[in-house]
Amino acid sequence: MKRRWEIGIGMFGLIFAAIALFLWFPNDIQGDFMETTRLGRVEPGDAFFPILLTAFIGLMSLIQCVSSFLAPHEEVKPDAYPHITLRNLLFMALLFTTLLGSLAITFTLGPLVVWLTQDGITYRQLIDTPPFKYLGFIGGGFVLCFSLMTFSEGRMRLRSALVSVALIFLLILVFDIFLSNIQLPPNADF
Amino acid sequence: MELVFDYIVRGVLGVFFEEGGSFIWLPVFMVFCGIVLGIVVGSTPGLNGPFAMAIALPILISTFGTSNDALLPILGFLIGLMKGSTLGGAVPAILFNTPGTPDAYMTTLDGYPMTRKGQGKKALKIAHFSSVSGDTLSDIALFVLAPTAALMIESILGLPDKAALIILSLSFMAAVAGNSVTKGLIAGGFGMLLALLGSALSGDGPRMTLGIPALGNGLPMTSAILGVLVLGEVFIAIENLMRDRHQSARAVKQKSVDSRLSWREMKDLLPTIFRSAGIGTVIGALPGIGTTLAATLGYEAEKKRSSSPERFGKGAPEGVAATEAANSSVSGANLIPVMSLGIPGNFAAVFLILAVEAVGDFTFGPQVFRFTEIRELEGYGTVINSELVIAFGIFTLMMFGNLCNWTLGRYVILSMGILSRIPATMTPALVLLITLTAVYAQDGGLIGVWTVLGLGLIGYVLRRLDISLLPLVIGFILAPQLEALVRNAFSASGGDPFFLLKSPLAVIFILLSVVIIVRAIRNQQASAPAALHASHHQKE
Repeated sequence: MKRRWEIGIGMFGLIFAAIALFLWFPNDIQGDFMETTRLGRVEPGDAFFPILLTAFIGLMSLIQCVSSFLAPHEEVKPDAYPHITLRNLLFMALLFTTLLGSLAITFTLGPLVVWLTQDGITYRQLIDTPPFKYLGFIGGGFVLCFSLMTFSEGRMRLRSALVSVALIFLLILVFDIFLSNIQLPPNADF
Repeated sequence: MELVFDYIVRGVLGVFFEEGGSFIWLPVFMVFCGIVLGIVVGSTPGLNGPFAMAIALPILISTFGTSNDALLPILGFLIGLMKGSTLGGAVPAILFNTPGTPDAYMTTLDGYPMTRKGQGKKALKIAHFSSVSGDTLSDIALFVLAPTAALMIESILGLPDKAALIILSLSFMAAVAGNSVTKGLIAGGFGMLLALLGSALSGDGPRMTLGIPALGNGLPMTSAILGVLVLGEVFIAIENLMRDRHQSARAVKQKSVDSRLSWREMKDLLPTIFRSAGIGTVIGALPGIGTTLAATLGYEAEKKRSSSPERFGKGAPEGVAATEAANSSVSGANLIPVMSLGIPGNFAAVFLILAVEAVGDFTFGPQVFRFTEIRELEGYGTVINSELVIAFGIFTLMMFGNLCNWTLGRYVILSMGILSRIPATMTPALVLLITLTAVYAQDGGLIGVWTVLGLGLIGYVLRRLDISLLPLVIGFILAPQLEALVRNAFSASGGDPFFLLKSPLAVIFILLSVVIIVRAIRNQQASAPAALHASHHQKE
């Protein structure tokens, strides 16, 4: 069916609304839909607005399903309706692998170097000591920036490496040297 | 009238002088810096004003703090960024046929042909003159209309009316932004739900956290908005670059043969600029419609009026003037719903609201324009609506920004051609690293990074499914306000389930919302195949 993505969006909203109303909210909101105060007044509880909102999402999703299903059948190219392709999914897999890989380097490079080079000292004790505090950011940031530029250009270029390094040092200058009360990744998590 | 004048004078003086009377340069200096950086950002392909505002916000808060004194310097910089980037957006469109934003696409239609004829600098001068004129005119509309609208709202609307008005604004936004009102409303509903994660009004503990303790304080707002707006776009840009890398076009360098813009030519362009600025101001005052439609309508209206429409698209100066005046005049008018209602109409306004929420006691909304009698009370001090003084201070900063754009802006955009040569393959990666670093610094850890990546994924999916992002973002911003209004109105009605239908105005707003949604759904059904054909051909 040509409009399956249009109907699918509505189905997704309906399923989400059903799960939220019957599984998620009852187990994850402590307040009720309506509550009685000590003075005996009936007032909306913490579940009041989320339930109204989710019911609205459900209603709109139903309209989306029905209107897509009943829409006039005209000749439209099968891929004319916006949709996600296998190519999009492969790209997202590549992108998020790169992102998570870079984050892993950011969080492990500093502790690893400290473990290899410093006896009896943990990374936590050195999160404000150069060069250790910059290692993760430089390593992870470079891998992320350089990889994505390489993907975009289709080849490795010295220019991409130099621009990546320049940006990383600019960010260190702004966020670590110019501003004193904030921390670069990953140091706030140690 | 004397009272109004008194507040205006205090607002203007508050920008330049401290309470003790000594001169302060910081707010105006920050506007100046914002303008220059904004033009640089706007001139760089792949960067835009809202992105720069989002990245600048944590840096500004970290530098100036969150006291009341920090408000004007921070807002000054953000306003400068907004104005400068609007002006700078014309540079890559005119010189290299690479519109950084959808509205700048209209500028390429006549701007780039002018460059090919050797009139690139002249086109930039026309863009500057038209853009700054449009911006200034719409700011004047803002100064007059925002207080008027706020006074009316403050005196007429009660709790249910205000709740119904927000519902009407969101319905309108979902109906006009994007191709499908139902998908827009579903996205808006999801945006609201996301804003409710963690928070609870009754003190029963955090709600809807999915068992994740870090969500107890809710999703970090700036990270969430940056994810949807910036990372979603970055992901799309990288994917498109990977797909189209063999097609990377290079602009042909053209020798400038005619760069002079005479007074007479400027005078001849004025009627075009006034008409387009009028269109842009009206469009901008309505939340959600945005600059692209303003630029398109301004351009088409001018083409229709022209005695020689065949010149349009081949390097007509009126084409550049019409689009630039129209899209620039949206930015000031877009602040009318922000200042009078606290409802953001576009992405730049979202970041102004975030700044105001994070810094000082000032908040946007109808209460700002309450003209309280100024009185001296012995032993207490001056009784005054200090928010109104700040509002006039903000207007002063905007006018100073226009002054900078009129004088300095012309020379800056003429020297920005070099930035337009930055390869488009580089900016998405750079933007991604800057964004991740900024959210980590702003939110103090991984919660910001996971939020920005998660919402970036949602932003990517919504873009690929052609669902407008604006209802999601605005829903996210307005949800806490709407929940408080709905709950309070319900309590005040004594638990009446029809509490939203008790006031005639609220009934009108709710009925209008229903009419807008029903009409949009019917139009959507009638025009879907044609619209899809059109968008498909455009993509091809």
